[in-house]
Amino acid sequence: MKLSPDKRIDLRDVLDGLEDYRPRRKGWHWRTPAPDHKVGPFTYRNASEDLKNSVALPAAHAFGAIDPQCDFVITTEIASGRFEDDIRRMRMAAWHGADHLMVIRTTGQSHIDGLIEGTPEGIGGIPVTRKQLRATRKALDAMEDEVGRPINFHSYVSGLAGPEMAVLFSEEGVNGAHQDPQYNVLYRGINMHRSFVDAAEAKKVMADGGILQIDGAHNANATAKEAWKVTPELLVQHAINTAYSRAAGMAAENIALSTVPPTAPPAPKLRLDLPYAVALRDLFKGYRMRAQQNTRYVESDTTEATVTHVLDTLISRLAGADIQSTITPDEGRNIPWHYNTIAGTNTARQTLMGLDGLTDQVKLDMDGELPELAREIKERAILMMEEILDMGGYYAAVEAGQFVDSGHYPERHGDGIARDPAGGSGAGTVVKRAPRYGAPVCSHFGDNVFKDGDCKAYGGCSLCNPDKIRYVDELDPLDNVGERLKVPLDERDRGILRPEVERHGDGMVCVTLFVPAPPDVAEAAAIDMALHMNLKNPEVISKRVLHPAEGSVFEIKGVLDVYIDTAFLTLPTKVDLIPDADIEAWVRPRHIHAVAATVGEDEHSVGLREILNIKHGGVERFGLKCHDLGTSISVTRLLDEAERTGARVVLMSTIVTHADVHKKNMRRLADEATARGLRERLVLVAGGTQVTDEMAKECGLDAGFGRGTKGRDVGSFLVRELQRRGN
Amino acid sequence: MPSLDRPDDFQTRRAHLKDLSDDELHARFWDLANRIVQPLVAEARTHTTPAVERSVLLRMGFTGAEARDLVNGMQARGLLGCGAGKLVLVLANAHHLTVREAGLTLLEGRMWEELGV
Ligand code: B12
Repeated sequence: MKLSPDKRIDLRDVLDGLEDYRPRRKGWHWRTPAPDHKVGPFTYRNASEDLKNSVALPAAHAFGAIDPQCDFVITTEIASGRFEDDIRRMRMAAWHGADHLMVIRTTGQSHIDGLIEGTPEGIGGIPVTRKQLRATRKALDAMEDEVGRPINFHSYVSGLAGPEMAVLFSEEGVNGAHQDPQYNVLYRGINMHRSFVDAAEAKKVMADGGILQIDGAHNANATAKEAWKVTPELLVQHAINTAYSRAAGMAAENIALSTVPPTAPPAPKLRLDLPYAVALRDLFKGYRMRAQQNTRYVESDTTEATVTHVLDTLISRLAGADIQSTITPDEGRNIPWHYNTIAGTNTARQTLMGLDGLTDQVKLDMDGELPELAREIKERAILMMEEILDMGGYYAAVEAGQFVDSGHYPERHGDGIARDPAGGSGAGTVVKRAPRYGAPVCSHFGDNVFKDGDCKAYGGCSLCNPDKIRYVDELDPLDNVGERLKVPLDERDRGILRPEVERHGDGMVCVTLFVPAPPDVAEAAAIDMALHMNLKNPEVISKRVLHPAEGSVFEIKGVLDVYIDTAFLTLPTKVDLIPDADIEAWVRPRHIHAVAATVGEDEHSVGLREILNIKHGGVERFGLKCHDLGTSISVTRLLDEAERTGARVVLMSTIVTHADVHKKNMRRLADEATARGLRERLVLVAGGTQVTDEMAKECGLDAGFGRGTKGRDVGSFLVRELQRRGN
Repeated sequence: MPSLDRPDDFQTRRAHLKDLSDDELHARFWDLANRIVQPLVAEARTHTTPAVERSVLLRMGFTGAEARDLVNGMQARGLLGCGAGKLVLVLANAHHLTVREAGLTLLEGRMWEELGV
């Protein structure tokens, strides 16, 4: 399957031939570092290799449209409930620099004792099945080729079917996975004996498959209200999962610790979060750091979330990390929307490029209070581990509610999550292995009469011989991707478009309204306004009081229940530009004069200079004789000068638009030129940030140019226009 | 055990830690971690679960649903401790069947009485 940048991914191609599709590689992929990497005008110190295709950061236009890539892997979590919609979002994320795409599982999958098959729809995530993994992997393989960088695919090896998930992931080329039995125990109520026995097998399979493991410690600070107080326990949870993983055969470099800076402003965030970051990296040298942005305090304000996430990413750069995982800025208010996923990804990308080389100039002060505070967290963690052993070990400590207590250890509040070692889902299912117990497959953990490779006797296990893998298609004739795609594919074929934030055709839009009234009145009014806009089921998803009496701002989501038939759209016709050499060959011998100025009381000269100046690629280089009169020039003076120099061309810049002064300037130019009998001879052109071609023509000019215009756009137009007039 | 409730007595508790060097402290941290997981690892080494056994059968070429039915049958007969994969392999060898044929035979409800000998 091959993608082409100008075409939408065809889900029929993705689903076609899945029964025979094999992943092209197994195991995790780190970015390839590019030391002292020159990109455009800069030399980067924390960069990795460039992409073949991408959407650059917005400000890149000022630096030659560069899109440098940082050294950290960037994670994006995607989970709409339908993998076919997620695939499209993954492609957008990959173009914005994400190379670790994580799919969240549907609610309840942890409690299913076995595998799910097919492609049923999920809630808050997708049911992870072989078909769904394979389809996604296949699409990601095509995206890798498109962007020119390997993409890591990631999901969860937890719940009651952990070992099977691990096998499935290894077979299907999933590159990373969350695996932490403590998560099952503390947050899923799964029996602890079962969780740990399952985990050893799962970890062994993951270890041999080169799958990067991410632990689950961060869930403790997502749970606690005063998250900075659970930092000693976080170290304990990291340590338990890490030591257990090592015992199961996992290499240190495949063990990533999931760490989230615990606080958010107005808390004094960096001062509170750095000691934990330092303590963790001291104790876990040689392991990988998966830095996750904070989600605990995000509610509905996307700007607030973004600022917190920038600070989180700053901590990653200062303290060091291997993976920067992102949280969408709308995490607190809905299942993330397409464009917010991209916004979150860009927060990491933009911040990390901005912080490039920072640690060559700015360092953590390891002579001040920082190492002392870090040491205190370490000591508190050690005291907790000592007590766990005194209590009779891990199981007894969990039973006593030692974990996820909100107290700052050794302080205890008695509000921890206590679990019964004999209870929980899957209780009583752990069986002692008989003396001659055997499992004739590779990557098996524990006592076994067989060893790795013995599977050759029967033609190899599925990890050695992928032909052994049995592919199951759909089990449910109604709840599957084929059914779900009928309408979207049909609409697509017919050229029908609807707005969307999450899934094909959801019609969801979001409007921002400021209403100048006290909050209650303003909110009721805002909803009413949304109804007047014909939005169905309008709902306030964010509100901020700007002043208790002067007004509030609302973001309102609602369904815009209309569709657009692309057959009836009129698109602006794209003009092919005349090649530079041909423009020059026509202009230079004719000695054509042009007068130029920024008119009215407008002092902006940068844009016009871009258009004129030879050094900036302006029209002078074609041999156009330009008379730049400067800024704040009246229209009258501009036309006087046109007459005096015998110019054929007027180039007017108009940047300020208050009270439509740009339109007034354009009209004045057209009217006065006509009144003075100059209109026939002069080609009248205006430009400016808010100027469009239609607007300029409406105002009586010949052409208008907006943001991003280049000299050659203007040159090409002038040649055609002058030729049209018979010169 | 009753749930814990206690003020922050860090300063008194840390008496035995405060003079350790950082290296000693780190060594102690990892020693404790390894001691905590040691019995858990031992249990995993000597025990199995339906999920572990299903994952073995998956690797031997069965679907999730087939693995589930085979493991449920073995569990009901108290045979899981022998290892689901070994049970199927031994049956296959005894009857010159492929592993898959042996498993499908069991799924048809036949030859269960021969397992575990
Ligand atoms: C630099 C700048 C200034 C500099 C100008 C320095 C200078 N010598 O030009 C300074 C600091 C002096 C300045 C002052 C002011 N500025 Co100012 N300024 C900017 C800023 C930051 C960048 C503009 C810029 O240079 N862009 C880069 C150039 C390359 O882009 P461009 O101008 O759009 O030009 C391109 C196209 O529009 C087009 N084009 C432009 N002209 C022409 C002409 C022709 C013939 C053609 C074909 C094409 C063309 O091609 C160009 C190249 O692609 C913008 C904000 C922003 N980030 O955009 C505000 C901005 C333009 N400024 C603004 C304002 C209001 C002012 C002031 C009026 C503020 C004040 N009240 O004092 C004063 C100006 C006072 C005055 N009497 O004019 C507003 C305008 C708002 C509006 N739409 O009305 C902006 C948008 C900021 C804002 N959001 O408030 N400003």
